[in-house]
Amino acid sequence: MAAALRSSPLAHALATLHPEWIEVAGMPLASKLRDDRPDRSAKLGICDLSALPRIGLKGPGAADWLSARGVPVPDQPNTWSALEGGGAVARLARTEFLVEDGFSGKAVARLAPDLKPGSPGVYPVPRQDCALALTGELVNELLVQTCNVDFTAQTRDARVVTLTLMVGVSVTVLQQRLAGTDCWRLWCDGTSGPYLWETLTGIAAELGGGAVGFASAFPDAQLQNLQ
Amino acid sequence: MKILTCPVNGPRPVSEFAYGGEVRPMPDGATCTDREWADYVFNRSGVPGVKIEWWYHIASGTWFYAERDTVADRVIRTWLPA
Amino acid sequence: MSSRLPPVTGEWIDRSRGVDFTFDGRAYRGCAGDTPASALWAADVHVLGRSFKYHRPRGVLSLANHDVNTMMQAGARLNLRADVEPLEQGMALTSVNTAGGASGDRLRILNALGGFLPVGFYYKAFHRPKALFPFWERVFRRMTGLGTLDFGAPHIRTPKRYDFCDVLVVGAGPAGLHAALAAGRAGAKVVLVDENARIGGSLGYQRGGSIEGFEMLRDLERDLADLPNVSVRPGTLAAGYYADHWIPLVDAQRMTKLRPRAVIVAGGAFEQPAVFRNNDAPGVMLASAAQRLLYRYAVKPMDKALVLTANADGYRAALDLMAHGVAIAAVADLRADGEPSALSMRVKQVGIPVLKSHCVLEAEAVGDRLVAATVCPTGADGKPDTASPQKFACDGLVMSVGWAPAAALLYQAGASMRYDTTTHQFVPERLPAGVFACGRVNGVYALDSRCEDGERAGTEAARHLGFDTPERSFSIAPERSPPSHPWPIVEHPAGKNFVDFDEDLHLRDFHNAAQEGFDNIELMKRYTTVGMGPSQGKHSNMNAIRVLARIRGVSPGEVGTTTARPFFHPVPLSHLAGRGFNVHRETPLHSRHDGLGAVWMQAGVWLRPEYYALPGKRKSEIVRDEARAVRDAVGLIDVGTLGKMELYGPDAGAFLERVYTAKFSGMKPGTTRYAVMLDESGVVIDDGVVARLSEQHFYFTTTTTGSTTVYRELQRWNAQWNLEVGIVNATGAFAAMNLAGPKARAVLRKLTSLDLSNEAFPYLALREADVAGVPARLMRVGFVGELGYEIHVPADRAARVWDALMEAGQDDGIRPFGVEAQRLLRLEKGHIIIGQDTDGLTQPDEAGLEWAVKVDKPFFVGKRSVEIVRKNGPRQKLVGFELDAIGASTAPRECHLVVRNGAIAGRVTSIAWSDTLGKHVGLAFVAPDMTELNSPFFIRADGGTMVQARVVPTPFYDAEGLRQKVVD
Repeated sequence: MAAALRSSPLAHALATLHPEWIEVAGMPLASKLRDDRPDRSAKLGICDLSALPRIGLKGPGAADWLSARGVPVPDQPNTWSALEGGGAVARLARTEFLVEDGFSGKAVARLAPDLKPGSPGVYPVPRQDCALALTGELVNELLVQTCNVDFTAQTRDARVVTLTLMVGVSVTVLQQRLAGTDCWRLWCDGTSGPYLWETLTGIAAELGGGAVGFASAFPDAQLQNLQ
Repeated sequence: MKILTCPVNGPRPVSEFAYGGEVRPMPDGATCTDREWADYVFNRSGVPGVKIEWWYHIASGTWFYAERDTVADRVIRTWLPA
Repeated sequence: MSSRLPPVTGEWIDRSRGVDFTFDGRAYRGCAGDTPASALWAADVHVLGRSFKYHRPRGVLSLANHDVNTMMQAGARLNLRADVEPLEQGMALTSVNTAGGASGDRLRILNALGGFLPVGFYYKAFHRPKALFPFWERVFRRMTGLGTLDFGAPHIRTPKRYDFCDVLVVGAGPAGLHAALAAGRAGAKVVLVDENARIGGSLGYQRGGSIEGFEMLRDLERDLADLPNVSVRPGTLAAGYYADHWIPLVDAQRMTKLRPRAVIVAGGAFEQPAVFRNNDAPGVMLASAAQRLLYRYAVKPMDKALVLTANADGYRAALDLMAHGVAIAAVADLRADGEPSALSMRVKQVGIPVLKSHCVLEAEAVGDRLVAATVCPTGADGKPDTASPQKFACDGLVMSVGWAPAAALLYQAGASMRYDTTTHQFVPERLPAGVFACGRVNGVYALDSRCEDGERAGTEAARHLGFDTPERSFSIAPERSPPSHPWPIVEHPAGKNFVDFDEDLHLRDFHNAAQEGFDNIELMKRYTTVGMGPSQGKHSNMNAIRVLARIRGVSPGEVGTTTARPFFHPVPLSHLAGRGFNVHRETPLHSRHDGLGAVWMQAGVWLRPEYYALPGKRKSEIVRDEARAVRDAVGLIDVGTLGKMELYGPDAGAFLERVYTAKFSGMKPGTTRYAVMLDESGVVIDDGVVARLSEQHFYFTTTTTGSTTVYRELQRWNAQWNLEVGIVNATGAFAAMNLAGPKARAVLRKLTSLDLSNEAFPYLALREADVAGVPARLMRVGFVGELGYEIHVPADRAARVWDALMEAGQDDGIRPFGVEAQRLLRLEKGHIIIGQDTDGLTQPDEAGLEWAVKVDKPFFVGKRSVEIVRKNGPRQKLVGFELDAIGASTAPRECHLVVRNGAIAGRVTSIAWSDTLGKHVGLAFVAPDMTELNSPFFIRADGGTMVQARVVPTPFYDAEGLRQKVVD
């Protein structure tokens, strides 16, 4: 994979877990870890999805900019709407948006070339996230050990976006069904990623879970669409 | 731990926020006296009572105002700058 | 001999599982479910510890978490509360604060010396003569303290967690159980906690010789089991109340920070001791303690008991004891009219003599065990009539004279309490919104009333939260007789009538304290130390208040209570510490530095390479070599920790001019400019480089530690000014590295098609181009004083660029360099670092930044302050200095003081040995009249050595800046 152009903020941490890599949008994504156990994702899996394509923008014109390009804009602050192919458009607070493609989406590829400085009231936000998916029955136990927000009060259908602090790191959290797997999604600044990963996987290991590869967390995802 | 209600993000523990001090009008630096300016820069009122304060929700980068009774340590309302 | 009873219905012990343990070296066997105290009492061990001051023998007092004289040590584990903590197989328990164990403690001599240890003794003695204080300190350190610290104790990381619910019910006695049921049935998500190993509270042990209460508990448990929305957590302590219903729940494993929407305090009441001479002798215990021994641990507390009471509970205790084979010598009732309920008849029916209006004058111990108690009538003034004492032989004395509400959580929640004369206890008067109280803590004692009061509280809490449950009216009958006696205290000329068992305070100590003027409850607490021991006044504060009230001739309500701070009971430090998160950020090049042997240092929240270790080389050599590589060839440093901001919009230039001291509107795209930020008082708080990418797009850097706060403050200004700008914090989104050195251009040329000639890309210019196939922003900067390119690239492609640069520079001797070398290089150039060469008071003029401050602008943050300060001139100036030839060992260090005529005239902010220059150079603040070039001044170095320095111009190196502006 030496040819891959991009690398995940967690590339180094994942490399120690002896992964099999696949390439997504120019970034290696850990598909299988050497000691992936089949039950781990069902218990408490933490999967790096930093490779998924995403863009960010903010400003008073950001919502209109997205609408004009056919993107379903969530009308309430801190909610999200779904994109074809499993992606999400998250409205972060009032006027900022995070657009991320799912495993087979093409929205980001379509929008990114348009997103340049110059549109009035539309300010590109470079996204270099550490993006995670948390799967399994013990996700809430991990959340309550790391974050002071009651996530059990949120239903998936309400499509709530939560901007909060988790173990001291600013994170964006939402609940999603991705390629047939219910999961919690987490985004944080890439430079905080290794710390967050180390902390979450450490706690998860105590709970009988831990780091998992993409193929283990999302067995039903269509891998060929990613490449 | 106290709960503070961010006008955008809702009620959250106060550890998610940074305090920004009392909201105080800045005198016109071009016309005010040295004494008025120094008073603005250096002096803070410690008188207990109802104050309007700046608060910042860290994770979302939201500045807002909170009206707080510092005697009862009770937040009366919060709102966004116009 | 054993005092273990045949099986008792509801007992907590598991007789099938024996538990072997030792206490002070002797072996014993208890049962699973025992506490050390119950197991030892069952084995007829009655001296479980020694008191703190007089080393008196102490046994069971409460079995309710305030028997602090029976605190023990188990290996490395300190402060094991023997009355409540579970006994474990193989425990090697030792008594603490003794010389030679609890039973033979040689320090018991102090008991005889009590007369020489008056209250306030420690405050008064030992600080004169001063010279002897260290001696006395050593003596007392040896004699006092509870246990021996084991520095080899394992480091325990205890996870904490957050939790959320609708209603928290604290205390699972009859009131709490009914409250939880009522709230649970209304649909609330309820958490019910009880600090005891099992729920039930007094239903389990205050039985009055009947099984009814215990059967009620069984029914309640069944009802609770039917409610999946009620989580029952025994063995869990609600340790405190913090703002907005924030309750730390402590169990054996961890602390849970619970956020309920409403709190019901049903924590009951602490039974209070009576005060009489020798009321601490082993065998004298609270009635509830005797009942706990009976029903929880199936231990016969004594063979023959005298019961001292002033309420119905004492009569129940007498019946309970009798039912398990304890002979009752008599019931002495402090009340003139005795017990009004049917209990008095039942007691008489079983043949127990009742002495109304009688008190215990003193208890008598032989060896370490109670043998008799002297009872006498009480006069109308409440004082004992010692003319006709009666002596009863007994090995147990059971006290049930009153209760104090376990109201700490209510106090912490801001409840106001009043002293109620119908119950003679403090009861809640006004509760904060969302906080409810029921049961004994609410002044309700009759069992039926407690159940109803619990139901009321549960219903009210549910309704408060909006649960649709019908409003009901509750009528709680008033108590027939006060559960507490207003004066369960008997004076004795020989003293040793203890009010506080933790601190060995007897009644006389309070009179002495009041006499010396400490007659306010808060002052008395601090002077006598009442309530300051490990039980925090749970068995002593109420009596202390009664004593002080009588001394001052006021009611207990007027005396008031002391502040009840969290935590309610002791909590292990490991629980408080939690996991210990170590928040930090890593640049995208972190793994590259690791691979190169980086030695890490913390820079704010970041980890940065201080230098790159090489086998067999010392740090100073390495730093010197790294610096030399930059001067002679080329070096590469990760500067990705700098704050990086994007600024968009038509007002972007105007915005920058308001927040920085320089002008930016006229900047041409493709250029950069140094920028200084002040706060409103004109103090330098940050600096960086502003680059203009296009008319409406700037990109600028902040200091590493400033990025978060600068971004925050810029957002705040923007919220007020309403300019048409957008600020994006791109600190983590971009990686940045500085390629510096005379060969930098040659290296970079291999990786980009950009024209790097001086004409096309001059000093301080900005260009956008691909580097190693990655889109980059390049700035020609001169921080380290050589030809240099700061290269900013998207974080996810940073490693690729770093690798390409290192490879491209191989032939030219490229070296990665760390923060330490960079500090030296910039010092040679006289460049300041904000926060190192400035402090929280530094004005720009003092730091030599006058040139960067454009006061001809209409406004910038801090402008008016700068103008005012300039009228007076600077208080100090930052100057460059060098040392005359001097050995490195005696050179001054950062923060050493500049001294003139014996007074402080400034300080060193930076200093280093420069190999390039062959001398020590540095920056220092000095008085404004000390700045003349070549003038000498003195720095006070380590050990007081005065070292001479001379003011010299900066930059120290390449004063004309030819190297960074290098033309070809």
